[in-house]
Amino acid sequence: MDYFLQQAMNAFSLGGEYALLALGLAIVFSVMGLVNFAHGELITVGGYAMFFAVLIFGVKNPFLILPVGVLAAILFALLLERVAFRPVRAAPPTTGMLMAFGVSIILQNSALLFVGTRPKAVPTAEWLMFDLNFGSLRIPVVQLLETGITVLAIMLLVVFMRRTTIGMAMRAAAKDFSTVRLMGIRANRVVSTAFAISGLLAGLAAVFIMARRGAVDPFMGFTPVLKAFVAAVVGGFGSLPGAVIGGFALGIAEVALQAALPSSVAGFRDAFIFSAIAVLLLFRPQGILGERPDFGEKT
Amino acid sequence: MTIKRSVLLGSAVLGLLIAVIGVSAFVFAEPYHQRIVFTFMVNLIIVLGLQVFMGNSDITHFGHIGFMGIAAYAVAILATPVAIKKSALATAPFGLSGIEFPLPVAILGAIVITMVVAFFVGLVMVRQTGVPATIATLAFLVVVHVILLNWVDLTRGPRAFYGIPIKASLLGATAIAVVGVLIARLFRDSHWGVQLRASSEDVAAAAAVGVRMQRLRFAAWMLSAFFLAVAGILFALFVGTISPKSFYFDLTFLTLAMLIIGGMHSVTGAVVGSIVVALGLEVMRFLENGPEIAGVELPQMFGLTGFYLGAVIVLGMAFRSEGIVGPQEIEEWWMRRRQKAKSDATSDEALQP
Repeated sequence: MDYFLQQAMNAFSLGGEYALLALGLAIVFSVMGLVNFAHGELITVGGYAMFFAVLIFGVKNPFLILPVGVLAAILFALLLERVAFRPVRAAPPTTGMLMAFGVSIILQNSALLFVGTRPKAVPTAEWLMFDLNFGSLRIPVVQLLETGITVLAIMLLVVFMRRTTIGMAMRAAAKDFSTVRLMGIRANRVVSTAFAISGLLAGLAAVFIMARRGAVDPFMGFTPVLKAFVAAVVGGFGSLPGAVIGGFALGIAEVALQAALPSSVAGFRDAFIFSAIAVLLLFRPQGILGERPDFGEKT
Repeated sequence: MTIKRSVLLGSAVLGLLIAVIGVSAFVFAEPYHQRIVFTFMVNLIIVLGLQVFMGNSDITHFGHIGFMGIAAYAVAILATPVAIKKSALATAPFGLSGIEFPLPVAILGAIVITMVVAFFVGLVMVRQTGVPATIATLAFLVVVHVILLNWVDLTRGPRAFYGIPIKASLLGATAIAVVGVLIARLFRDSHWGVQLRASSEDVAAAAAVGVRMQRLRFAAWMLSAFFLAVAGILFALFVGTISPKSFYFDLTFLTLAMLIIGGMHSVTGAVVGSIVVALGLEVMRFLENGPEIAGVELPQMFGLTGFYLGAVIVLGMAFRSEGIVGPQEIEEWWMRRRQKAKSDATSDEALQP
């Protein structure tokens, strides 16, 4: 029972991480149709910001390091939107996707060129690694926080999207951007807000990923975001609730397989999961919550 | 099916260009440079295979290198001499460590294995459109990599697979690349290619005139996988030593950049892009190692080649998203210029009193 609860906690914290990232991808995609392959670099930038905050400014207080990571991710998301993605906003989706892909490669290799190939250690706050004991159950604080903050962030996002003007405009933009503009909402504000939110979510994920890894390297953002893409596709690409469901489903599946598979085949975990997803998509190509585009509609 | 003469003409021009590069490297170049040109030929075959699927169906394909990896490992496992396998692959399943196939059988076997995998993946692929399809191809690449890396008994896992008979030659690779150009052109301008391109531009209109998009997309997928299988086999039989990381994101990025910068909607674009990016890449490799230029010692710069590829893609997308060549083939481009010159001339005459 304890073992089960422990694994359940693992599953929720990993699922939460995927859900945060998948949500960020889904928000940007739903508003402007951009498949943001550079999303993972927001995590990396957050990580490096934390590293430099410690190295250059000598920030020791962990309560200050963590916001630095989140803030850096938000600012960088806004910068990317302004510099890289605004010029291709009107272009076909493939152009934007390849643009994001190129930006991602440039950022990874800039980190290689200018910071170095080796992982850089970022001190993790000790209290994050502390284990809480509930009877015989031991749960690290970081897992509790991760799950809690994910749930909180999702709830706040729901309120934001439903109660604020800009949130409603974003939901409307997912359906029909030109009508939103006819209502007098500035397109740039909607898109910038979408990127800021995706940066915020990626920044939160970055903080927890850093807490677990303790080091930042140029390619650290790639794998989590690849998983997040898969999660978003499973949930239905562009659907926000779908991204959350897909993220948690993927996290739970990964932890369950990790626990269930004998160690001789555990290395094949991702192959099993992706193949299972392929079968799922064979029967439901639009994902769990995705809407099937009307026939002939551009996707 | 009639073959348009213009298609043959266009392929001949491109094929001649490739043949000149390959043959002159074979005759004049040192072994080191011959290796570079051989790698270029393999990359060109990959890019052509990528063009067959991406250019005609307009779905970005990140998984092509997965097929190359499958084919390379298949031919390696089938063709490597028993003497080497006894030590390197002692625990191989299905008794593979004890058998050695003659090269033609091994090559055929590798192609068949790759095509069977492509068949089943393709069944899933054609049901997807747009972004989910792209993510699916990416997931396929990861699955192949995970299997190559973890099935240690069969592939030696992360350690290099060595002892593959070195049988490929530069001239052979050049010939295959030339034939590849012809096949890619024939497919692009066949009924299937034209219908598939039409359906990627407007699904509803194409379906209304009876185009079966999924079936055509499947055909393009299979042909693309065939190109990649050939590239993988050539690669394995040339370098003799392969490892899973040879068939992962680095090569994926490189070949995608080649196709995109040339223009993914035309075979001419694939060829031009391959040449341009390969030339730039060699310059970057040279700079990356910190050479001495005019007495100035440059620092080593790891990541420069990757940076270059990213920059190529970003600049291409920002300023010329259709690529250098654009959607037109070389002979279409030529004829359009001639027609334009002619119409300019006639309009000039009309102005004369």
